[in-house]
Amino acid sequence: MEELRQPIILGCVAAYMGLCIWVGIWAMRRTKSAGDFFVAGRGLGPVVVSLAVFSSTLSGFGFVGGPGLVYATGMSSIWMAVCSALGYATGFYLVAKRIRMVAEVRDTMSLPDVVFARYGSETARLLTAGTILLGVLGYLATQILAMALVLQSILSATEMFADISLLASVVISSAVLIFYCVTGGILASVYTDLVQGIVMIIAGALVVITAASVFDGGFAEATGILLANDGEDVMPFGTLGTMASLSWYFLFGLGLAGQPHVATKMMMNRKLADNRVILPMTVLGYVVAAMLWVSIGVIMRALVIGDIALPLGAADEAAPAFLSTYAHPLLAGIVFAGLFAAIMSTADGFLNIGAAAIIHDIPKAIRGRSLNNELFWARTATILLSVVAAAIALYSDKLVGLLGAFGWGTFAAALVPVVIIGLNWKGATARAAIVAITSSLAINFAIQLWQIQIPYKMSGGFLAMLTSMILFIIVSMMEKQKPLPRDIDRVMDL
Amino acid sequence: MKFLKSVEPIHIVLLLLLVIAGITGFVLMSEPPVDATGVAHATIPAMSVGGDGASKLATIGKAPFYFQIAVILLAGALLYMGVAPHKRDRTLLLFFAGGVGFALFVWVMLFTGYEHYILTGETTVFLGFPMPTNWMFWGVWGSFAAFDLFYVIFFRRYFFTPDEEAEFDALVEELKSERGDA
Repeated sequence: MEELRQPIILGCVAAYMGLCIWVGIWAMRRTKSAGDFFVAGRGLGPVVVSLAVFSSTLSGFGFVGGPGLVYATGMSSIWMAVCSALGYATGFYLVAKRIRMVAEVRDTMSLPDVVFARYGSETARLLTAGTILLGVLGYLATQILAMALVLQSILSATEMFADISLLASVVISSAVLIFYCVTGGILASVYTDLVQGIVMIIAGALVVITAASVFDGGFAEATGILLANDGEDVMPFGTLGTMASLSWYFLFGLGLAGQPHVATKMMMNRKLADNRVILPMTVLGYVVAAMLWVSIGVIMRALVIGDIALPLGAADEAAPAFLSTYAHPLLAGIVFAGLFAAIMSTADGFLNIGAAAIIHDIPKAIRGRSLNNELFWARTATILLSVVAAAIALYSDKLVGLLGAFGWGTFAAALVPVVIIGLNWKGATARAAIVAITSSLAINFAIQLWQIQIPYKMSGGFLAMLTSMILFIIVSMMEKQKPLPRDIDRVMDL
Repeated sequence: MKFLKSVEPIHIVLLLLLVIAGITGFVLMSEPPVDATGVAHATIPAMSVGGDGASKLATIGKAPFYFQIAVILLAGALLYMGVAPHKRDRTLLLFFAGGVGFALFVWVMLFTGYEHYILTGETTVFLGFPMPTNWMFWGVWGSFAAFDLFYVIFFRRYFFTPDEEAEFDALVEELKSERGDA
């Protein structure tokens, strides 16, 4: 079996990619309008939406970066995962119902549409769309780069593709992504998310079982090794300490509902009452998949610290090294497919909201209406966005770092006050929304641009989010409350 | 009493955000110890070790403890805003008090367990991990999973009642007929 490891991994990844292409072709026949392309005509069932929401949240970062962070810094990063129950609670208590209602009464296609409906401000819409576009470019570039690096590592282990270049890997992996996103729009995106979510859950569960059996004494033995050597790493705050961990909890826990690729999916369910089923499925799916994060990280750290395995060259090699050494070839194949699933499920969501920002939101904010023949331009914008992101990924390391770090923190800081608080408090004003978005962008950019080192490694996104939330409420309170449009006012009473 | 009645959840949210900002400001202005965020492992590349946990807290003391208390209260206040004012009854208030109280209890157990470890170097391993880490895995996650469960169980009472569903459908129909879609 061991000699078939590479062919099996390659076969699993190829089968997964083939499935994505098939879903793209299937969804193309059902995508007849821009509404179908961007919000699936608001006709999705609860299972599809729940898996789409969770798989969009857990990107390649969770499957590769997460174990790498645990390997490098112990438990610190786990605060980004244990906050998921709070994150989804925030999303469903504060956003899911209102955003779906606004989507229906205003026939909205994107988050900036919802922001405009709530605040009646084209500037707020433009800033929201601009924020999304900036964040999407960075996030997408990092996802494409991650996807290409993983594909390159798999293919280069075979004789036939031993010398495959990064450019070729970018082209192959992006081609599949672009194909199903262009042909099937969000419908292909959410149905591939369904497949991707299932693959991620299976991968997460199987990896935990495998990881627990690496040491005869299971996780307790691994913990014993870590406690004997340092101890802080396996305690709840890891090596980075309390404030770094807790600032991540704040940013990821309260910031999840501000992620546009997640919030947008809350507009797509067929029935509002389905939210009751979507929430628990989302939470459970995420938890099972995220177990991979902690289990691989802890085991690899214990193996290296305990002198059982050789040190890794880079922390991000933790997951691939674990899979290639300790996982059954078939499991390694499933997890590698799960890895692509995690990356692609986030990337396709970004492509969709990015395309909406380009052809729908920004033109609407500037000239009062979106482009004619939206479906055609949506497909064109999807290709354009992918090519630009791939170019950034390939040719500008600095820009990838800058925009990539910009991603989650930017979305959370800019959009949490505007969306989470704004949809639940009638006193929120358009000026406050503009101030919140602008200030969060300025803080995030300043931190990234000047490489400002924050004491105790607190997250820059946390500082930006805290500032924007405070400014949002104070500016709103200082202004006289304006009457809301009748439909929005009634929606906010429900 | 009249003042208390005029206090809305948004005021509590703002107050808690300011408390969090105040604690954050205090932490930012304190002098971080050398190993505040760990030190590079002596022999293994790409890996850091935590070092002396007690010295990490030397200049900020219990600030992280109070910080997280404010964050938990903030999370509770924000979630409370997600229930429309006319549906906020005594049962809801009791659940929120209990839920937030449980989250605070978990946090106290986690932090005091960690403090005990950094002072004594001793901890109990349970389910494969040290107890404070278990409080993080299962307690921190579980305390807000209780809010998720509450959403599922009381969905039709607090989050989307049959009356609201009918009212929303009526609104959609009304808007459609105004636009001439019907």
